[in-house]
Amino acid sequence: MRLSILFFLLFSITAPIISQVTESEKVTLNGYIKDADNGETLIGAAAFITEISAGATSNEYGFYAIDVPIGEYTVEYSYLGFETQVKRIVLDQNMSLDIELSTASTKIEEVVITAEPEDENVTKVEMSVNKLEVSTIKKMPSLLGEVEIIRGLQLLPGVTTVGEGASGFNVRGGSIDQNLILLDEAPIFNSSHLFGFFSVFNPDAVKDVKIYKGGIPSRYGGRLSSVLDVRMKEGNNKKLAVNGGVGFIFSRLSIEAPIIKDKASFIIAARRSYIDVLSKPFLPEEQSDSRLYFYDLTLKANYKISSKDRLFLSGYLGRDNFVFGAAAGFSWGNSTGSFRWNHLFSEKLFSNITMYYSDYNYKINFGEDNLNAFNWDASIINYSIKPEFTYFMNPKNQIKFGGQSIIYEFLPGNAVGISEGEVRDFSIDKKYAIESGLFIENEQTINDKLSLNYGIRWSHFNYTGEGIAYTFADAEVLGERKELVSTESFDQWESIQAYNNFEPRFAMKYQLNTTSSVKVSYNRMAQYIQLVSNTTASTPIDIWTPASNNIRPQVADQVALGYFKNLKDNTYELSTEIYYKVLDNIVDYVDNADLVLNPLVEGDLIEGDGRAYGFELLAEKKKGVLTGWFSYTLARTERKIPGINNSEWYPSRFDQTHNLSLSGFYELSKRWSLSSTFSLISGTPITFPTSRYEQQGYVIPHNALNSRNNVRIPTYHRLDIGATLKGKEKPGKKWYGEWVFSVYNLYNRRNPFAIFFGPEGDTRPALNVPINTQATKLSVIGSFIPSVSYNFKFN
Amino acid sequence: MRKIFYSIIVLSTLLVSCEDPIDVELIDAEPLVVVDAWLNDIDKAQTIKLTFSQPYFDNTFATGIDNAQVTVTRDDGEVFEFNHTADGNYIHDLDADEILGEVGSQFTLDINLDGQVYTATTILNRTAPIDSIRQEFRENEIFGEDGIYCELISRDPLGLGDTYWIKTFKNGMYLNRPSEINLAYDAGFDSGGEVDGFVFITPIRELINEIGDDLLVVPWMPGEEIRVEVHSLTEDNFFYMETVRDQLINSQNGIFAEPLANTKGNITHVNGDETVLGTFNVASVSAIDYIIQ
Repeated sequence: MRLSILFFLLFSITAPIISQVTESEKVTLNGYIKDADNGETLIGAAAFITEISAGATSNEYGFYAIDVPIGEYTVEYSYLGFETQVKRIVLDQNMSLDIELSTASTKIEEVVITAEPEDENVTKVEMSVNKLEVSTIKKMPSLLGEVEIIRGLQLLPGVTTVGEGASGFNVRGGSIDQNLILLDEAPIFNSSHLFGFFSVFNPDAVKDVKIYKGGIPSRYGGRLSSVLDVRMKEGNNKKLAVNGGVGFIFSRLSIEAPIIKDKASFIIAARRSYIDVLSKPFLPEEQSDSRLYFYDLTLKANYKISSKDRLFLSGYLGRDNFVFGAAAGFSWGNSTGSFRWNHLFSEKLFSNITMYYSDYNYKINFGEDNLNAFNWDASIINYSIKPEFTYFMNPKNQIKFGGQSIIYEFLPGNAVGISEGEVRDFSIDKKYAIESGLFIENEQTINDKLSLNYGIRWSHFNYTGEGIAYTFADAEVLGERKELVSTESFDQWESIQAYNNFEPRFAMKYQLNTTSSVKVSYNRMAQYIQLVSNTTASTPIDIWTPASNNIRPQVADQVALGYFKNLKDNTYELSTEIYYKVLDNIVDYVDNADLVLNPLVEGDLIEGDGRAYGFELLAEKKKGVLTGWFSYTLARTERKIPGINNSEWYPSRFDQTHNLSLSGFYELSKRWSLSSTFSLISGTPITFPTSRYEQQGYVIPHNALNSRNNVRIPTYHRLDIGATLKGKEKPGKKWYGEWVFSVYNLYNRRNPFAIFFGPEGDTRPALNVPINTQATKLSVIGSFIPSVSYNFKFN
Repeated sequence: MRKIFYSIIVLSTLLVSCEDPIDVELIDAEPLVVVDAWLNDIDKAQTIKLTFSQPYFDNTFATGIDNAQVTVTRDDGEVFEFNHTADGNYIHDLDADEILGEVGSQFTLDINLDGQVYTATTILNRTAPIDSIRQEFRENEIFGEDGIYCELISRDPLGLGDTYWIKTFKNGMYLNRPSEINLAYDAGFDSGGEVDGFVFITPIRELINEIGDDLLVVPWMPGEEIRVEVHSLTEDNFFYMETVRDQLINSQNGIFAEPLANTKGNITHVNGDETVLGTFNVASVSAIDYIIQ
């Protein structure tokens, strides 16, 4: 099976090379496609040669290349929302042509989700992929007026959350750690601020957001369920531009400017919450030192050394802080840095080498003085190098190949307690691992109707010392803690356990006619690190742990089939997909698992199977004064874990049968626009007790059937509305402002997050009175939330 | 260990969230036999209680089982008969100079209910001796008002795997709020804590202060009486009580709640495979009484 795929690949790649020799002499047209306003490169813009009905789209760095026989051609450069440029070009030798497109002057066509060639939904081979324009996200009504990328994604089919305020997101039945979240190629390990209310991405610094839910190309690896690829703006390389906003929660400010006009530019964007500053006067005196705030800082600079070389430097630093006077503090955050070098080896060979550093950590401190204190921190750090090459072989074949190597350092917990001057160290040994991957993929156009994207990734993972490997006995009873049998010490970089996987990827598009197509995709993904978390919403103190001699890597296989149709001159887009996903070696936990500061945590993990399947529908209206989309997902996500739910299949905690959302945008006038989103989501399942019993005066819940997630919480639904008032546009005006009004949860519904069981209230059990046990619904947002914010632009 | 963390963050999520009672249809389940057998080496009247489990929303006292034969046998052959008094309580009164056993004694519990035999064995483990109660006046406490707070100074004996349930009585009233359940594994929270042989670490030594309805700690007043008992547990019963506590306070964890977990006691059904709830533990107890100055 594996060999045959390799042969297939080799054949497909070499066949065109062989045939190329016999063809007439060819030349290459290449270059960058940019926004004329600010010099930002455009991702996914099209260069189309009319005479041969072939072309290319620009890659993540705005680069395109087309290989054609010598001749005279008409080339159309287009990007939706921009004016198309038509060039008449005589190609008698290789030619580089950078193109700057201007924003469409008449803004009749409003792009909603994609900003790519109009019929790309139908014509492109990729499926299960959504792009979300930042300009669209900015128009959505939002919680407390804050533009939120991840909340925006959750309005698309297949992307869900376990509940309001929960960190991260779930894609097609995957848990939150199965999403590869990339910010300028560097992974982000915790995408949330304030648990899950806000994401770490500053919308002012984001250029492009793309999520792969299936048919994931082989250049991505390491997570089972999705890739969220967020690209930052490069910074205006023509003139100074300042963006900012003032809202209830944060203030934002970003500055971008050329360093050397048209050659080098930077952007720096910062946000800080100020609930702490505002609430300070209202806190009781003993809590006046208590503060809760978060901030993030996003930086990027780029330098175009020559037409062949360009450098990028990106960085992110974000932190949430909870300070409780002098005596206690808790903080967490990500930091990333990435350095990239784009180099053009030849007219047709584009390369990018990324080197990054990424780190997530948290710190908890208690302590009145030096004699009585408790300090605890934990982190995951990784360093990586990732060379990638794109070979624009000819208009029908575009080959990408490359590799990646990541060094991980896990610090599961450094904890030191000092009590009456006695120092105790609870620290857990660091863990190390090296993950590597090699990939090759080809995007091939067979003919007008059939296009393919196929590739393979080989991934390798080495769990190494320095460290101690633990060996556990099989659990005496399925689903119970495994007892330690022996330990063995390993030296630095000595292999404790190695794994590798071949991950084939395949996607095919067959064009039925000019407005419709069917697509099929398959991908196998392997994941070697996981987040250890058994709470409903992941907490900031959950730690990442590598595959080891006790934990096998998780593997997922997914097939998807889709039908795509555009109607009325691409005014309406319809995408329907069905998918089926099988997950192996997914991790679950023994009852009452002890997951933090436990060196033997692997003894509390259980391996099991998962499966997810569903139907997704996305219908969009992309043009006119009224735009928007309707999204519906019918899905099932299940797990089968030895010892849990009597070892039978059960729905996962984030399983949602129906998930429907409706988003609408209406241009009322030149200055006023309205927006609205509505969500209706089936209740997630939760584990309910059947009985209660008494022990030592306590009333204890008991689930006699041993079932997991046996009852569903009530349906969730919510309507949000928003309105934007734009400032008057005048030629030559430098300052431009807009007011954004929104109401979140308009009809004031107390949507359930979970249901808990317990004694009524939290009163002390009284003597000689039976304890009342009851069910309590927890609503994270208990009322409607209006907000106003002001955004400005200066340039 | 998570507890520390939760206490911090739960405060912040409470700001926007709200809770409402809700009706839920529960699945019916057969009543199960419940054994509540927590004996110790200080009380003269030792009690074992037998009841049935009931539907979760049945807010009445559990029905006592009054027709069982209950004995506890020590490993040296001494048999203690337990006789039914009322509401499922079975009592054995020790003589004035008699104790149930010494550290290391093993006990077998036998229950015969209409021919169904239930049994459990346990061992009387050592406890941690108490040095003192320390009181101090504190200002600017995060989780309480200014006032007198107490600490239990007690050192875990050397040797891994000692487990304890620390019970506090305030003016004679047992502090029985679920969040006041104070458990220790050696001097810390759990195994692997590398705190063997230490004085109980800070959150444990301070969990002898009353927790009020608002979940803030209630300071002591001069003249009030505090009594602290350190009961030894077997390791299994430590995990049993840990499950009990975690389940009872799970709702306080809000969006970070863990899935419902059943307790795992040590009682088995000899001539069948019924699940028996509850557990059997014989504790050695150290205690201290102190009057707040």
